[in-house]
Amino acid sequence: MSIIMQLIISGIAMGFIYALVGIEYTLIWNASGVLNFSHDKLITLGAYIFGGTYILALKMGFVQGILLSLLTVAIVGVIIARTIFIPLRNLTMIYTIMATVMLGKIIVEGIRLFWGPVPFSVPGFLVGTVKIGKVVISRANIAIIITAFICVCALQLFLYKTKPGKAMRCVAQNRNAAQLMGIDVKTVMVTTVAISMIICCLIGVLVSPLLNISTTMSNMIGLKGFAAGVIGGFGYLPGAIIGGLVIGIVENFASMIFPSVYKDIAAFVLLVAFLLIRPKGITGKTR
Amino acid sequence: MLEIRNIDAYYGKVQVLSNVSLEVGKDEIISLIGANGAGKSTLMKTVMGLLRPKKGSVIFQGEDITKIKNTKIVSRGIVYVPEGREVFPEMSVRDNLEMGAYCRKFSSREMKTHLEDMYEIFPKLGERQKQLAGSLSGGEQQMLAICRGLMSDPKLIMFDEPSLGLAPVIVEDMFRVIVKINQIKKIPVLLVEQNAYMALSISHRCYVMANGMIRLSGRSEEMLEESDVKKTYLGG
Ligand SMILES: Nc1ncnc2c1ncn2[C@@H]1O[C@H](COP(=O)(O)OP(=O)(O)O)[C@@H](O)[C@H]1O
Ligand SMILES: [Mg+2]
Repeated sequence: MSIIMQLIISGIAMGFIYALVGIEYTLIWNASGVLNFSHDKLITLGAYIFGGTYILALKMGFVQGILLSLLTVAIVGVIIARTIFIPLRNLTMIYTIMATVMLGKIIVEGIRLFWGPVPFSVPGFLVGTVKIGKVVISRANIAIIITAFICVCALQLFLYKTKPGKAMRCVAQNRNAAQLMGIDVKTVMVTTVAISMIICCLIGVLVSPLLNISTTMSNMIGLKGFAAGVIGGFGYLPGAIIGGLVIGIVENFASMIFPSVYKDIAAFVLLVAFLLIRPKGITGKTR
Repeated sequence: MLEIRNIDAYYGKVQVLSNVSLEVGKDEIISLIGANGAGKSTLMKTVMGLLRPKKGSVIFQGEDITKIKNTKIVSRGIVYVPEGREVFPEMSVRDNLEMGAYCRKFSSREMKTHLEDMYEIFPKLGERQKQLAGSLSGGEQQMLAICRGLMSDPKLIMFDEPSLGLAPVIVEDMFRVIVKINQIKKIPVLLVEQNAYMALSISHRCYVMANGMIRLSGRSEEMLEESDVKKTYLGG
């Protein structure tokens, strides 16, 4: 029984990571109509800025390191929005897609130059376990669940209850009409990319106790987060959360039934199944 | 109020408007009629600052707004209710209306009185305020688009083919409301229509556009009388 509980909890934790990935690229998709193919590299960049620079090189405390990392990536987000998403916004989608692919390459090579090619970890960050009754949970998983939950709630409140949040949804639903309301579409795009970058960085920080920090650390997370969006209902934020949790839990149980080398396949089997049978996703909503 | 002077506008290299001049006076309803593709919507977009003219100027309340940012033009009080309604489909009717006042800093009391004002004009919208705009019928969406435009207390409102695709009964309703807005709220109206008879019957003056040029203008009553206008532009 307690094994099943443990699997569910670690599944939920990974599920929230996938959900955050789903949210992070859905935001950009909604604001600019473009898939950001550099998103997994941006997650990696966040982890490097946090672990490589603020913690290991500058020896900061974890809290201070996290806050400064988030601030740093937000600034990077503003730059990316101004150099890629805004100048290319009225061209055919393929140009922006190519630009984000190239951005991903630049980030990876930049990381190699700046932080070096050797993977590393952040010692002492969210290590250890907590015992609740008979269930043993890692601190990292608890941190992931709590942070992701707060992040999702805050984002929902922002999008549904505040004026700038509503403006963001307006741009997502009808860019022309948003302009006619006097909404500054460029500002909304910059804000969206910055928020998306902050989420990417949070993901990078949260998974750094689970994975070594390396240039390939988030390849799998990036793909599964994409699957989460499709399975939940593409472009619809609550869908990404549901899709993420489904993948997280299903793949953990799959590792109990099948040899664990097949674990990563579970998400993609689900993805293909949904594309064939129910392409609109579990929620059936888009946007 | 609004004065459009000798506008030339292009999409890329293709000229869409040539030497267009048009004026909307205080308290007037002006109709702009013309066939599909004549350039009517393009003229509206130029006024809104969404398309920059190559030549000519747009004067609003005595000031040149030709080169002003689109968001500033909206907050100066020009509202464009676009062709094809363009509501925010995944937002409630109420949220749609509130977004109409995006450029104003209303207190929640002011917002409430504005909303009630709109529900008075179209009680249907009040009944459906919690419903998603995308689930409304075409006529209801048009009412929503009109009211969303009125939410910011505009000083000039431009309607782009509000009757497009609506049942005749609803079209009459729509035009009655447009007249009411003009008479009670004292808002000048620029009305773009293909439904020329309707537009002429409620407007004070009229401009006829073809191939990006103003071909005729005059008092609407007289236009309705003149037989060659009928023949050429009204299809009768
Ligand atoms: N975004 C655009 N890009 C290029 N050409 C356009 C665009 N929008 C409209 N046009 C062209 O400009 C001309 C005028 O269009 P429009 O202003 O929409 O006419 P109307 O509103 O009178 O039907 C048409 O020939 C149309 O094909
Ligand atoms: Mg038109």
